[in-house]
Amino acid sequence: MISIFYFYPMIQALILSFQSGSGTNLSFVGLSNYKRVFTDPTFIAAFTNTFIYLIIQVPIMILLGLFLSVLLNDPKLKFRSFFRIAIFLPCVTSLVAYSVIFKDLFATNGIINKFLLQFSLVPEAINWLADPFWAKVTIIIAITWRWTGYNMIFYLSGLQNIDHSIYEAAKIDGASSFQQFFKITIPMLKPIILFTSITSTIGTLQIFDEVMNITKGGPGNSTTSISQYIYNLSFKYTPDFGYAATVSYFVVIAIVIFAALQFKLAGDKK
Amino acid sequence: MKKIFMLLLMSVLLVACSSTGSDDSGSKGGNDEVDEVTAWAWDPKFNIAALEIAKEVYKEENPDLNVKIIENAQDDIIQKLNTALGSGTTKGLPNIVLIEDYRAQSFLQSFPDSFYELTDLFEATDFAEYKIAPTSADGKNYGIPFDTGVTGLYVRTDYLEEAGYSVEDLEGIDWNEYIEIGKKVKEVTGKTFLTIDPNDLGLIRVMIQSAGSWYVKEDGVTPDLVDNAALKEAFEVYKEMIDTGILKPHSDWNQFLTGFNSGDVVTVPTGNWITPSIKAEESQSGNWAIVPIPKLTVPGSVNASNLGGSSWYVLNIPGAEQAADFLSKTFGSNVDMYEKLVIDVGAIGTYTPASENDAYAKEDEFFGGQKTVADFAAWLEEIPSVNYGMHTYGIDDIITVEMQNYLNGKNIDDVMSDAQKQAEAQFN
Repeated sequence: MISIFYFYPMIQALILSFQSGSGTNLSFVGLSNYKRVFTDPTFIAAFTNTFIYLIIQVPIMILLGLFLSVLLNDPKLKFRSFFRIAIFLPCVTSLVAYSVIFKDLFATNGIINKFLLQFSLVPEAINWLADPFWAKVTIIIAITWRWTGYNMIFYLSGLQNIDHSIYEAAKIDGASSFQQFFKITIPMLKPIILFTSITSTIGTLQIFDEVMNITKGGPGNSTTSISQYIYNLSFKYTPDFGYAATVSYFVVIAIVIFAALQFKLAGDKK
Repeated sequence: MKKIFMLLLMSVLLVACSSTGSDDSGSKGGNDEVDEVTAWAWDPKFNIAALEIAKEVYKEENPDLNVKIIENAQDDIIQKLNTALGSGTTKGLPNIVLIEDYRAQSFLQSFPDSFYELTDLFEATDFAEYKIAPTSADGKNYGIPFDTGVTGLYVRTDYLEEAGYSVEDLEGIDWNEYIEIGKKVKEVTGKTFLTIDPNDLGLIRVMIQSAGSWYVKEDGVTPDLVDNAALKEAFEVYKEMIDTGILKPHSDWNQFLTGFNSGDVVTVPTGNWITPSIKAEESQSGNWAIVPIPKLTVPGSVNASNLGGSSWYVLNIPGAEQAADFLSKTFGSNVDMYEKLVIDVGAIGTYTPASENDAYAKEDEFFGGQKTVADFAAWLEEIPSVNYGMHTYGIDDIITVEMQNYLNGKNIDDVMSDAQKQAEAQFN
């Protein structure tokens, strides 16, 4: 079963990645697809964009998730479950639905601009979706909104597994809550942080729905992601399935490298 | 380790076995009799409505065949066709499908034998000339031309008058004159002259086709960007519109519609399929007129162009013969059906014998009594024929990026030569 549903497509895709041509007129071209990737400005732009999302968004999201989970784990906090649900709720919304709503929120005449103008925070309406810089910012805000709660739930369950006596002992020894957070919480949560950072990295490398629905990759190529480029190569342009397969193999390679890197950084020695 | 090796080995074997057996899954040839054919199209107000009319007309003489009409978004149709034809499985595909002219060659050439030849089933010469090149391959006709995509410049007459212009001032002008009028109108009324989605360079395509030029040379393959005078001028006109502030960006279709429906936009240069959306705002009745699209100053440019026209195709699957018969007896030859189409839907086909019927002379009160259908029918005969080739949207994306660079200050000649290099690297 595994070989049919996992390995067969993987190997078929690998074979496909050595072919090129339009539609079904494929012919073997050896490694030229792999060479083409490195000189393809669209791929480089898509890769850079995805990388920018990754290095900016993943740390923000993980820190925010940690921060919120510690706040929400405080037994003295009122309406705890309400806040937990409120923050977790975005992750159960449909990817497409929330993307469409974000697109409306960030339109030039959308509610975000109205709010910013009302309080004179900006001199004129920001062209969120048609400006290369702000379009990226919009995408990052969107994915942060959707996924922070998801990671937070992991941290919360992790926090609940930490024995209270450890904190009590720390308090007796005079540790501030700041010290408790960095000396106890973070080290205890390390496996979970590693897990969430790897899943977030993989998720971000595969980002598609948000970009497709909010900006369609534009303006120009300024928000295109690798997955979207694969989609364009297979379905938007004259289909070149071979080259699309090559590009998708690059995503696989990138994920393997990043995951390995994170294991190394986390110091997970066997 | 041994297990993984075994798994890999098994998969390789599977690959080897399957490659021999997967080719005949879709039985080719359309001679099998069926009692139902399916048709896919987008836009309920236009294409679907046209199909419904054709279905009724056909049913009168052929009651045995049921035509099942399914509405699909254009993007979904493209994706489903690419996936199914690419994998060689034709199960679940429709018999009749609507394809945009810009993309037609990409399908016809990428998936040869997947489309049913229609050459002998209709008179290609009865249709507007510019529709024939995109719908045929190797001298054979595969598509029955339908939606004209003929462009017009929709203008708000009340705003123009406020600024001291009449509709005639916008007729037969070039884009530079258009910009001059736009500046004046903006100064007087404060309204945006036109809006555009920066990710959709439809207007650039309209401009270059009006000069008989395209992204590729006549062979449909060689990218024609670096020495393309029409494209260069189109770029300059576009930048000028942005620099003078008469053009504002919108980011999606809804914002586009809101723009002119709310009365903030003075002109809409686009395909005639926008008419129902313009007329959707009834309070503006009488305030609109349609004039020919402005032209470029390069030699050969005319005040007529095309944006996003589409045509009907038959897939080479069981039922193909009947589907082709349906198309040829309706969209391919039926003058009465086209008359009904104009009256009921307001849709103009590219079938020239139909342009003599009375419905074309109907006056439209929304556009101040203008005979819009007759006007469009006259303009569509002037549209220069170009070969769109296979890579319209691939090159379009390259152009979109270079346009951003150009707007950010990159030299126009560098923009053109970089676009050319990229297109050559990508599509050869």
